[in-house]
Amino acid sequence: MSTYVYGIARAGHPEPEQEILGIGDPPRPVRVVRGGDLAAIVSDCPDRLRPKRRDLLAHQHVLTEAGADGAVLPLRFGSLSDSDEAVQEVLAEHAEHYKAQLDDLNGRVEYNVKAAHREEDVLRRVLVEEPEIRALNEANQASGGGAYQDKLRLGELIANAVRAREVGDAHTVETALTPRAEQSRPGPEGAGWLVNLSFLMRREDAAAFLEAADRLGSDHPHLELLVNGPLPPYSFVRPLESAAAE
Amino acid sequence: MTVVPAQQQSGGGGGTSGLYDVLELILDRGLVIDAFVRVSLVGIEILKIDVRVVVASVDTYLRFAEACNRLDLETGANKSPGLPDVVGQVTESGAKGKSKGALSGAAETFAEAIGQGRDKAEAEGEPQRRPRRTASRKKEESE
Repeated sequence: MSTYVYGIARAGHPEPEQEILGIGDPPRPVRVVRGGDLAAIVSDCPDRLRPKRRDLLAHQHVLTEAGADGAVLPLRFGSLSDSDEAVQEVLAEHAEHYKAQLDDLNGRVEYNVKAAHREEDVLRRVLVEEPEIRALNEANQASGGGAYQDKLRLGELIANAVRAREVGDAHTVETALTPRAEQSRPGPEGAGWLVNLSFLMRREDAAAFLEAADRLGSDHPHLELLVNGPLPPYSFVRPLESAAAE
Repeated sequence: MTVVPAQQQSGGGGGTSGLYDVLELILDRGLVIDAFVRVSLVGIEILKIDVRVVVASVDTYLRFAEACNRLDLETGANKSPGLPDVVGQVTESGAKGKSKGALSGAAETFAEAIGQGRDKAEAEGEPQRRPRRTASRKKEESE
């Protein structure tokens, strides 16, 4: 049976007071595999693991629970090893790299911030702020919506105006929140958000960060802000290559 | 602003919206160790594509044009002398509190204009125009 690995911690990482349940149906209990100065947080892996909603949640849940007791390097979802012994070999092989990162991330949490425009609010702003677009819109409205070409031209102008505001607002969000965190990283590429950033901070600084995010939201009511956290520091673990390059 | 504490998402396997928003982090971030095999994510790719909807630009243009066409801004401009003031106040560099006030003021003007339009339409027995702002209502409900 293969071993599912959630994360890597120090060997002294406390045992959880209550049993943590991991992936699988029924959920497999989480255990700790120790090797040298390090420990891996693992469970058995069901025979045919598929990335189901409940398993993604379980991965997140285990890392959150274990992370509450001390630094844990979160592994990407779906990391499997042949056996507990093979996990121990990995811990031993790159122990210094993992220990350095555990020191860096000790007591830190990640918050992910996404922002989008509230569409109707931003369109209203564009119409109010750009006389040319407003005039064209009025002309189209007067002719019952306008011809296809007129609509296309209006729409293109609006799209450009919205894009310009997306760039400006992305900058606004970044400038407002970056000083409140130790590090920031762009989130995975994806459409639908004008900005997607992850921030790393000390756990005790999270309240001030959330306050800043709250203020940002009320200062810019046309922005829809989505703040997720505290999260395991998914975006701030470094792969071996970058450690070698340092 | 919406804050979703991680504990709420993971508690009892219940939370759904939270998972959706951090899915990309669970799947695309986190440490990758070469010696470990990664489980096949065949099923999940579809879910990720779903998250990353890309709308072709022509469709976007037409959608924006339609959305603005429905905003009924010109009625507000004609009926309310307040709009030019609004234009003056809403500037990039303007005080934030001020522009917020101006915006909600403008929103009230629109609401009045829409209300007047509706009353007028009903009084004259015109067919009711398609309801406005349904998109934004949906959004508010989902928050």
